[in-house]
Amino acid sequence: MIRRIKGSQDLTAGAMFVAIGLLAIVVGRDYPLGSWQRPGTGVLPMILAWCLVGIGGVITIKGLLIRGAGLLDGVWAWRPVIMVTLAGLAFALLVNDGGLVVSMVVSMAICAAGTPETRWREFAIFSVIMVVIGVALFIKGLGMPIKVFPWN
Amino acid sequence: MELSDLFANLSLGFSVALSPGNVFWCLTGALVGTAIGVLPGVGPVATMALLLPTTYYLPPEGALIMLAGIYYGAQYGGSTTAILINLPGESSSVVTVLDGYQMAKQGRAGAALAISAIGSFFAGCVATIVIAVAAPPLTLVAQKFAPADYCSLMVLGLVFAIVLARGSILKAFGMVFLGMLLGLVGTDVNTGNLRYSFGISDLFDGIGFVPLVMGLFGMAEIMANMTSTERRDLVTAKVTGLMPTREDLKTSAMPILRGTVLGGFLGILPGGGAVLASFSAYTLEKKLAKDPSRFGHGAIEGVAGPEAANNAAAQTSFIPMLTLGIPSNAVMAMMIGGMMIHGIVPGPQVMQERPGLFWGMIASMWVGNLMLIVLNLPMIGLWVRMLMVPYRLLSVAILFFCCIGVYSLNNSANEVLFIAAFGLLGYLFFKLDCEPAPLLLGFILGPLLEVYMRRAMLLSRGDAMVFLERPLSLSFLVLAGLLLAIVLLPNIRKAREVAFVE
Repeated sequence: MIRRIKGSQDLTAGAMFVAIGLLAIVVGRDYPLGSWQRPGTGVLPMILAWCLVGIGGVITIKGLLIRGAGLLDGVWAWRPVIMVTLAGLAFALLVNDGGLVVSMVVSMAICAAGTPETRWREFAIFSVIMVVIGVALFIKGLGMPIKVFPWN
Repeated sequence: MELSDLFANLSLGFSVALSPGNVFWCLTGALVGTAIGVLPGVGPVATMALLLPTTYYLPPEGALIMLAGIYYGAQYGGSTTAILINLPGESSSVVTVLDGYQMAKQGRAGAALAISAIGSFFAGCVATIVIAVAAPPLTLVAQKFAPADYCSLMVLGLVFAIVLARGSILKAFGMVFLGMLLGLVGTDVNTGNLRYSFGISDLFDGIGFVPLVMGLFGMAEIMANMTSTERRDLVTAKVTGLMPTREDLKTSAMPILRGTVLGGFLGILPGGGAVLASFSAYTLEKKLAKDPSRFGHGAIEGVAGPEAANNAAAQTSFIPMLTLGIPSNAVMAMMIGGMMIHGIVPGPQVMQERPGLFWGMIASMWVGNLMLIVLNLPMIGLWVRMLMVPYRLLSVAILFFCCIGVYSLNNSANEVLFIAAFGLLGYLFFKLDCEPAPLLLGFILGPLLEVYMRRAMLLSRGDAMVFLERPLSLSFLVLAGLLLAIVLLPNIRKAREVAFVE
């Protein structure tokens, strides 16, 4: 009989720590340990990784045994999470070739699309203000080496 | 220490802090901090993270003075919204809401705001002097530390941070370990070996502090806030009669004094800081009051005590950062990040190597507090209007400042990719109820701990007992062990009971 998991939030958090710890152990397995007198590259990472696995294990067990918050309690904000992430990616990919104006407008529009509350006319005005501030402050003011427009 | 030394140090500090450039940065920091503090959903850590890259363009003194200004400005701003619209702008002003908003509803918003400002200012003055008096002897002590002592002190600091962190202690542990691991990514300075860089050349120098905090605190906060459509009822009672009555001043005097002492003490503890101080001060005032039932219904002591305490704590938490180079909370980690951007290694040597910076920063705290009390009260109308900016626009602006800020550090588009990734990670932490602050402390202290551990082992010729043989080191470790035992034992017992009941 499968008992219902009592605290899926703790369980997930614990599993996350264990997974990261194991990854660190596997990736770092060949890092030299050195001697007692000269501890090598791998000593502290190994100690920390095992500690992480240990504490993650305890949290996982706690999640299995003790009633706690569920993983799906509250709202998972998929739309803002995806859109904000995409907005960051868009800025990173566009800024060098597309220049500041294009990368700003695209990334801010993607971010604004993350919430149903966005009013697009208001956003249009706001983004013009932001672009003016951005160009004036960062390119003219601080002299950052970014193109204003793609054709500059 | 001689009294004349104190005056010499402080006058050096004031000569730095009062130079026109630094007054300007102090003012900018305090104003920006207040503006952001007023906005709910953007904490002081996120604000400092957002502005960290701009400090790259300032001289080191100006940079740190501005960062410090943001911090205490944010606290003033947080109390303003707490009193006026029943919404704590910062977590340290959560308790101010209880009685401050009630006072505002009774038409005494002016008195509440004034008392909170006066209390904060008084606490700020005292805390500045405490820092000036305590810092030099502490630095001297710190310079006598052997590497093993330092190592154990960091362990103690991390344990404090875990114990006093919000939420689950176990998860705080996990976050500290994870933060330390992240801090070790990149080239091992001792041996030149690469660690956990996965062949990505941008990771050879380690994970950048700025992309990490921007992602965890900036991007993740946008994601979390965009879902919760917060209500902002602008019940703003007209702020009339800013001057508190003589009666108000008389009842507030002792609470302000007690709050200052309590906050000043709690601020020094690692992991403590303003939030803990304001809560403790409120509890203390309620316990001491002749008629505790007035609390929650507009008792002025409930505003005066916590407000003085959180400001005192905010400032004394600079002491371990300045003298030992050990950050006691996320804000101090941010200050250390600011120092490192300018190539200053935090630690006891800062006071001797850069006395202008050290004392200038301390003096600027007083200057900043004075500016805040003079500027803030007349500007309350403006702050309240700032609340009208809807989050749907704010989030767009924050996103842009995150991206451009990270890009500006090294003109590297790849680092902007990192903040997107750390943003996702930060949101996951938020949903899993894992506080990111301990991770940040681990990130800063991990590499330092390794350096001192290696030195200690080298000096002891590979004898790990050195950590237990040196009295100072041993006492730090014992203290850390005791703290853990005190906190963990009841937890385990309780957990067992719960498990058995089930």
